[in-house]
Amino acid sequence: MIGIYVHVPFCESKCIYCDFASFVCGEQKIYFDCLRQEIEKCEQKGQKVDTIYFGGGTPSVVCEKYIADTLGYIRKNFDVSKNSEITIECNPNSASLEKLKFYRSIGITRVSFGVQSLNDKVLKFLGRKHNKKEAISAIQYAKKVGFENISADLIVGLPNVSSSMLCSHAKKLVDAGVTHISSYMLQVEEGTPLFKMCTENPQLLPSEEECAESFSKLVKTLQQCGFVQYEVSNFAREGNESKHNLKYWSGENYLGFGLSATSTFDNKRWTNGKTFKSYYNGEREVELLGNREKIEEKIMLGLRCYLGFKLEEIEKLGYKLTSNKNFQTLLEKGVIYESEGKIHINPKFYSVNNQIITKLLP
Amino acid sequence: MNRLEKIRNFCIVAHIDHGKSTLADRLIELTGSLAKRDMQDQLLDSMELERERGITIKLTPTRMLYEFEGETYTLNLIDTPGHVDFTYEVSRSLTACEGAILIVDASQGVEAQTLANAYLAIDNNLEILPVINKIDLPSARPDEVKAEIEDIVGVPAMHAPCISAKDGTNIDQVLEMIVKEFPSPKGDENGKLKCLIFDSYYDNFKGAICLIRVFDGKVKVGDKIKMMQTGKVFDVTEVGIFTPTAKPTEYLLAGDVGYLAGSIKTISDVAVGDTITHADAPTDCALSGYKKVQPVVFCGIFTVDGAKYNDLKDALEKLKLNDASLEYQPEVSDALGFGFRCGFLGLLHLEIITERIEREFNLDIITTAPGVFYNVHKTNGEMVVISNPSNLPSPVEIEYIEEPVVKASLFTPPEYVGAIMELCQDKRGIYKDLTYLDKTRVRVDYILPLGEIIYDFFDSLKSRTKGYASFDYEMAGFEKSELVRVDILLNGDKCDALSLIVHKDKAYSRGRAIAEKLKKIIPRQLFEVPIQAAIGNKIIARETISAMRKDVLAKCYGGDISRKRKLLEKQKEGKKKMRQIGSVEIPSEAFMSILKLDDDK
Repeated sequence: MIGIYVHVPFCESKCIYCDFASFVCGEQKIYFDCLRQEIEKCEQKGQKVDTIYFGGGTPSVVCEKYIADTLGYIRKNFDVSKNSEITIECNPNSASLEKLKFYRSIGITRVSFGVQSLNDKVLKFLGRKHNKKEAISAIQYAKKVGFENISADLIVGLPNVSSSMLCSHAKKLVDAGVTHISSYMLQVEEGTPLFKMCTENPQLLPSEEECAESFSKLVKTLQQCGFVQYEVSNFAREGNESKHNLKYWSGENYLGFGLSATSTFDNKRWTNGKTFKSYYNGEREVELLGNREKIEEKIMLGLRCYLGFKLEEIEKLGYKLTSNKNFQTLLEKGVIYESEGKIHINPKFYSVNNQIITKLLP
Repeated sequence: MNRLEKIRNFCIVAHIDHGKSTLADRLIELTGSLAKRDMQDQLLDSMELERERGITIKLTPTRMLYEFEGETYTLNLIDTPGHVDFTYEVSRSLTACEGAILIVDASQGVEAQTLANAYLAIDNNLEILPVINKIDLPSARPDEVKAEIEDIVGVPAMHAPCISAKDGTNIDQVLEMIVKEFPSPKGDENGKLKCLIFDSYYDNFKGAICLIRVFDGKVKVGDKIKMMQTGKVFDVTEVGIFTPTAKPTEYLLAGDVGYLAGSIKTISDVAVGDTITHADAPTDCALSGYKKVQPVVFCGIFTVDGAKYNDLKDALEKLKLNDASLEYQPEVSDALGFGFRCGFLGLLHLEIITERIEREFNLDIITTAPGVFYNVHKTNGEMVVISNPSNLPSPVEIEYIEEPVVKASLFTPPEYVGAIMELCQDKRGIYKDLTYLDKTRVRVDYILPLGEIIYDFFDSLKSRTKGYASFDYEMAGFEKSELVRVDILLNGDKCDALSLIVHKDKAYSRGRAIAEKLKKIIPRQLFEVPIQAAIGNKIIARETISAMRKDVLAKCYGGDISRKRKLLEKQKEGKKKMRQIGSVEIPSEAFMSILKLDDDK
C-alpha cells in the first residue's frame, strides 16, 4: 500500500514566514491539466493506495471541481482502497460549510486546518486571512458535516504568545472538536519577510529557552486532553494519527504529484520542479538511495515517532548498531528502549531527538 | 690578495620584525645572485609557514658575489631565526661568522632581542655593524636610535648606514661596509679538516644535509668524514654552496660556507654544533660550544580521529627529520586515547609544529595545555622528571618538587614599569634588577617560573604595556616550589587530558576559571553535566551545564526527508571533532582553551 500526495500550490496570500512552493497567482486550469497528465503517465500506475493527501499551498482556495477531478484521476489510475484516509488541507476562512460538505461527498475523510494561532493580533501579524472565530467555526462545520478526523496546526515560538496562551489555544481547539494537532516551531527562512524583520529586530522572537518551555507545556496540556505525542511534533487521540504521514516515517513508498512534490519508490527519490515552468517541462531532481541512506533514514524517521525501527532491518542493510557504544549508553539511560526487536525513543526525549539520532547514525 | 681575504662570512641579527629577511632579500638582489624574476619576497624564509608569519625558523645560508674596488668578494650570509625559542641555533650560526649586521628599527629602537642577539654576537667575538632600518617611516628617528645603540648595546653607531630595506635605499652602503668592516675568515686550507655544523635538514633523496662552515682544511666528495660528538662516520657524496639554491661544487675550503651530504639516514646523527673532521686524519680538538638542546615546553598531541594515530606518528617522524630539536614519545590518555607527549624549545616552536602537522599532513589534532617539566623528589630519595601532570606521584610520596625558572629581561618605556612589576609579581616572579637605559627605556630583570611564562604571560605583557614592552628570557635552573595537581571531573569522571600542575596559591582560582571556561565551551548535552575542579579528593570548584532542552522542531514530510538526513549527517560529521569523556562530548578546542582563561575577562 502506498500513499499519494498532491500539491496544490495556490494561496490567497503569502504568509510572512512561508517559503513553500505556493503562489498567489497562476492559471489553475493549466496546472490541474498538467497534474492529470502526470498522474496518467505515472510509471507506478496501478499500485494499491490507502492514503491520499492534498497539501499546499492552500487546497481549499481552488475550485472544488479540481479537487474532485484530481481525486477521480487517482482513483482511475490506481487501486485506491475503500477505507483510504483522504486528507485535505484547508484555511479556516476558505472552508465554508458547503465546501466541507462537498469534500465529504467526494470521499475525503480528514481535514487539516492551518489555524496556527487563536490570537487575532498574532494571526494578522503572520499574514493569515482568518481570525479566531472563523477558525473555531470551521472546525465545528467540519464536525457538523461528519468529519471524524480533524487536525489543526499550531505554531510554537510566536512573538507575544506566552506558553499559557499557547496551551489555552490548544485546549480551545480540542474543545471545538479537533482530534489531531501538528505543532512546529516557527522557523525563520531566508528570503521571507519574517527573515528581514528578524534581522532588523533580533529580539522579535522568543528565546530558545522560552520556546522549549512553551513546547513542553503544550505537550503536557495535550496529554491531559487525551492526546498522544506520536511524533516529535504531532499529537492525536488514539486512532486519529495521520496514516499518510506515518507512511513517510515508516519508510514506505509514496508518490507525489504536482509542483515541488517528492516521491520515494524503492531505491529512488525524486522531486518535481519547483516553479510552474520547470514543473510543466517535466523537470525532476532524482536521488538514489543506497544502503547507507536507507539506514540513516530508518533510524532518523523511526526515532522521530512512536513507530521506532527494527534492529534486524538495520543490520540487514549492513550496520551493526548494537556495537555502537552510544547505543548501549542510551539504552542504559533509558533514552531509547527495545521492544519486540524494535528500537523506540522514550517520548520524554522527543524534543532532543536530533542529538539522539546523530549519536546512533553509522 | 689571497683567497681568504676575499671572503666575508656574516649574519644578520635583529629583534623580531625589524626587517632582517627584507634586508637579506635586498642584498641578494643587489649582488645579482638571483635574477629579479625569480625573486619572491623573503627568499630565505623557504617554508610556507615562515613566509606567512614573516618569521624565520630554519636557517638558510646564501653566497653572493660582490665587486668592490676591482676585486670580487664572496659574501656568505647566514640568516638566523629571531625568536627566543631558537637561541641555541642562533648562537651556532653566529659561530660560523666573523661579522654580524645588527638591524635596528628606526622608530622602535633597541628592543629586548636586539640586545639579547647583540650580546650573543659579542660573546662570539663578532664584529658588529649596526644598521638603522625603516628610515622611510614617518616616525623614524635614526639619530636617537643611533645614540640608543651606543648607550645600551655599547657599539659605535654614528656611522651606521641608514637604510630602507623595503624601498632599497642605501643598501650599497651596507655591502661596502661588509667588505670594509668585517674581518676575513682565518684558517688553514692545508690543515686537518674542521667544520662546524650550524644547521641541518632532511632531503628525501640525499638524506640529512649538514650546513657547514669550514674552519680548517678541505672537504670533497669521496672523503670519509667523522662527526666528533656522535662518532658516526660517513662518506661524502656531495658538497656545495647555496646561491641561494643548492649548487654542487668540487670541494669546500677553509673559510667557506656550504653544505655537505653523505647518505646520512637519520637526522639525529647530525647534531647542530657538532664538528666534522676527516675520519682518517682527525683534528685534535673539536670546536667548542656544543650543547644538546633540551625541550622546555611539553604537551600531548592526539588526533581528533583516533584511527589516525599512525598518520600522526608518521607526521612527527617526518618533521623530526628536519627538526632535530623536536622530541616525542608515545602517550596514552584515558580521555584522548593514543597520542604523543612532545617536547619543544618554546611556545612558538610548539605552535609551529602543531600548525605544520595540521597543514602539511592534513591532520586534525588535539593538543593538551602546554606545560613544563618538574623534578619531583620522592620521599624514598628517588627523583623523577615529570612532564605529564597525570604522572605526578601521589602527594604522600612527594618530598618536594622543583620547577624550572628563567631569567627574564623586560624592556619597557618607564610608564609601564608598575604594570610590568605587578604582572611579574602575579606570575610569582622574583625581582632582580631595574636599569634606566635612557629617559625612555627601562630594563627590568626578574626570575620567573617557566610554567608561568607559558601561561598567557606574553599576551598579558603586551596588553598591559599597549605592546610597548619586549621580553627575552634564558633558562636559569630549578627552584623548589609548592605545586599541586588540579584535576577536572566531568560528570564525575576525571579527564586526565585536562589535568594541570599549578602553584598551590593559584590552584583555587585556576580551578574555578577552568570550570567556568569549560561551561562556556562544552555544549549542552542530553543530561546535566557537572564540571568539578579537584585537588586530590577535595572539590575546589563546581559548575553545571544544564541539560539540553530542545532541537528545532521542523517538519519532516516527503520532500523534507533528504534535507533532514543531510543535515543530521553534517551534525554527525561535526561531532567527530568532539571527544567523548565518559558520557560527555567535549569539543577538541576545550583542551587548549583552558590556557587562555584571561581572554574573556
